[in-house]
Amino acid sequence: MRRRNIALASAALLGIATLTSATNAIASSPNPTRIISLSPSATEILFGIGAGPQVIAVDDNSDYPSTAPFSKLSSFTPNVEAIAAYHPDLVVLQSSATNAATVESDLQKLKINVFLEVTPSNISDAYAEFLALGKVTGHPSRAKALVTTMKSRIAEILAKARKKNSISIYHELDNTLYSADSTTFIGQIYSDFNFSNIADGTNSGGYPQLTPEAVIKADPKVIFLDDGPYGESAATVAARPGWSTISAVKNKHVVVLPLDIADRWGPRLVDFYQFVAQATAKIN
Amino acid sequence: MTIVVSDLTVRYGEKAVLNDISLEIASGKWTCLVGPNGAGKTTFLKVLLGMAPYSGSISDQGVEVFKNHNRNVAFVPQSPQIPQGMTVAEYVALGRSKKDGWGNESLASRALIHKILVQTHLFGMHHNLVTHLSGGEMQRALIARALAQEPELILLDEPTSALDLHHQISVLNNIELLKEEGVTIISTMHDITLAAMFAEQTVIMKEGKVLLSGSSHEVIHSPELKKAFDNRIDVYTLDSGRPVIIASKGEVEKN
Amino acid sequence: MNAERDAIAKIWNWRITAFCALILLVVAIAAVSFGPISINFFKVFKTLFDLPGGASGQDRTVIIQLRLPRVILGVLVGSALATSGAVYQTVFHNPLADPYLLGAASGAGLGATIALTSSHHNLVGALPIFAFLGGVLAVFTSFIISGRFFADPNSLLLSGIAVGSFATAIQTYLQQRHSSALRPVYSWILGDLTSATWSVVGWSAIYIAIALLILFSVAKQLDGLMLSDEEAYSLGINPKKLRIIAVAAATLATATAVSASGLIGFVGIVVPHLVRGLTHRVTNRSLISIAMAGAAFLVLADLGARTLLSPAELPIGVITAFVGAPFFLVVLRNRRKAGQ
Repeated sequence: MRRRNIALASAALLGIATLTSATNAIASSPNPTRIISLSPSATEILFGIGAGPQVIAVDDNSDYPSTAPFSKLSSFTPNVEAIAAYHPDLVVLQSSATNAATVESDLQKLKINVFLEVTPSNISDAYAEFLALGKVTGHPSRAKALVTTMKSRIAEILAKARKKNSISIYHELDNTLYSADSTTFIGQIYSDFNFSNIADGTNSGGYPQLTPEAVIKADPKVIFLDDGPYGESAATVAARPGWSTISAVKNKHVVVLPLDIADRWGPRLVDFYQFVAQATAKIN
Repeated sequence: MTIVVSDLTVRYGEKAVLNDISLEIASGKWTCLVGPNGAGKTTFLKVLLGMAPYSGSISDQGVEVFKNHNRNVAFVPQSPQIPQGMTVAEYVALGRSKKDGWGNESLASRALIHKILVQTHLFGMHHNLVTHLSGGEMQRALIARALAQEPELILLDEPTSALDLHHQISVLNNIELLKEEGVTIISTMHDITLAAMFAEQTVIMKEGKVLLSGSSHEVIHSPELKKAFDNRIDVYTLDSGRPVIIASKGEVEKN
Repeated sequence: MNAERDAIAKIWNWRITAFCALILLVVAIAAVSFGPISINFFKVFKTLFDLPGGASGQDRTVIIQLRLPRVILGVLVGSALATSGAVYQTVFHNPLADPYLLGAASGAGLGATIALTSSHHNLVGALPIFAFLGGVLAVFTSFIISGRFFADPNSLLLSGIAVGSFATAIQTYLQQRHSSALRPVYSWILGDLTSATWSVVGWSAIYIAIALLILFSVAKQLDGLMLSDEEAYSLGINPKKLRIIAVAAATLATATAVSASGLIGFVGIVVPHLVRGLTHRVTNRSLISIAMAGAAFLVLADLGARTLLSPAELPIGVITAFVGAPFFLVVLRNRRKAGQ
């Protein structure tokens, strides 16, 4: 338990350190007016803090807000030349993109500023990204205000929805039973609600693959499905052999998570908290 | 260039495959090694190729075989590894690697290859792939490659075992031509009748030892020959003086 | 005079090599000239050869810092893989051999996975070293466990399969335990040249050049490996030593290529057959031509990878398979026809 906390703390510090250095490097230049976002979450954040008008292109997975200037640029396999062809002055790049380090240095060779976005491991990392993007795009106060609003709204939701006695939940990533434990971003959101995650304790780097027996034995009260787009639903889960005995299935507490809210860490995080609160309101 | 063998022993692990053998192989003559399976005949050839470690002495032109790396020894194997996609001409040309170095395609070299192809009746099909040759043609190709080497010594491992009767004789005739060039010939053969027809010297081997070595006429009619095959062979002499060696009928019927 | 008329034709013509060199040059220049940012061809040409009137500013950076290292890496990796494949095919008497035999691919993949799934995040930068070491160690282990270091081809092959399976098993286990690394590992396995920078080009050029020089210098003698060991000895080569030198150099080239660009498939099998099929020659004097053909092939494939689905990158392994497979079938069919 202590080791996990230390790991989380170090990851958070690393994240904040990266953000700080990234923003310090860029903050000295005048505000960018031709921003390209290669991260769906960053896109939502940019538009949330008022930097929307400065964005000239977003990647092919950035579908929110719908007014964002869609392009065919890839967030996973960025093509430096294609990006440069837009003549941007700031590119938001995910550090998990293929060859991100080379892409970053190549863009810098072309005198294009790069904001390297590290996937946040917890919500304070996510807030730090809001503030960093605010600083870099010239909207520091709006970013701050947005964060404050989000914090208070989430606190409100949790005040009502946080369980006094923890209930067990299972978060499903795909139908081969890959799950996310409490060390992950989404796992920590569940922890905020005082849920206990049946995937905990496997020490598998955050995303263990569970066995059907283990899930049935753990008997979660709620099942969150992140694989709705891949054909899973309450009905398909109930049809799995042996799963009908699970409390979540018996009491019809199998929930399909709304697309792209569970996988992102933008302003719509609040919506996600709200969704989880509503889905689990009646469960004890 | 006589080959002198003295107390030669070759071991594979604990077993002595060649056990303390001594003999002399005359230069420019055809010597044939005969004997039952496991006698060590092929091992002896490998020693001559410089492939097997040995104790004792085997010297060729006065120098130990493993010390002299310039020896030009051609080898005609019983079952060659046949490369895919190679033409007969390329295959024969491989023989020039010893004299010219690998990949040398001088005019003189190519003229010689042409001459050899004609000699072995392979010219005309030399654009064909080696994999498409019949057994007899393959044997001629092997001999052509050996000839291309212009060797001092040629070793043939069962050169006739896979051929029909007619081809057996013609292949051996081709090999005999080498004697005109002064090449020393050593072959292993199961067919002792054929060996007697062509080889001047015969060596009887059994279980790693040399039972007898000498002129073919003497050796064929010796008691050691029958002993080597556990008295299961008969030696007949035709009116022309040619010996014919066949397996005894009696032993086979006993079952 | 008679001798000239009667002599048989040369087996290998160095004009073929010159032709391959010309193709490679044309392809390379063409590849540097194309990309999502359109730059006038003559400007590119002038920039490359430092003539007046070349591009400047961002265009120049694109040509010199982005496209040129990538094309050069393509040349290096393509020639390394094609040459290694050709050498392995000769050594193992197996027309289907590829440079990833003997566990090189699985070993490199395991090394890369270790780097990507390690809890020390700085190891990601050292990925090429891990992949390289993994590949080399796997082949070395194959030699050791085959029983005799101077092993014959068949037992080497078998131990290579064993080592490869073992490495793959460990790799799969690590991936399962760190499934967040699945995508980076997968995309590394598919292979790409997007990591090309001048420093990557620098170290890979050194190792690949050394390996290829060794192979080119023994190329002619490699023909002797197409025969049995006894026949090889009689023709004046030591087949066991030659095999080790050839496999070691080919492994060095392959491991370097893999550490720079992941596991790009098909180049090592298809290109040697292409060259041998089109020239109707199996002699290893074709090795230099095979190297250049492999380079041209990969540079063209990479051009497709970065322009066909622009602005996304197509995995280069997909293109080499798409292009390689039909060509392969054609060559195979022609060979069979010639056989009948």
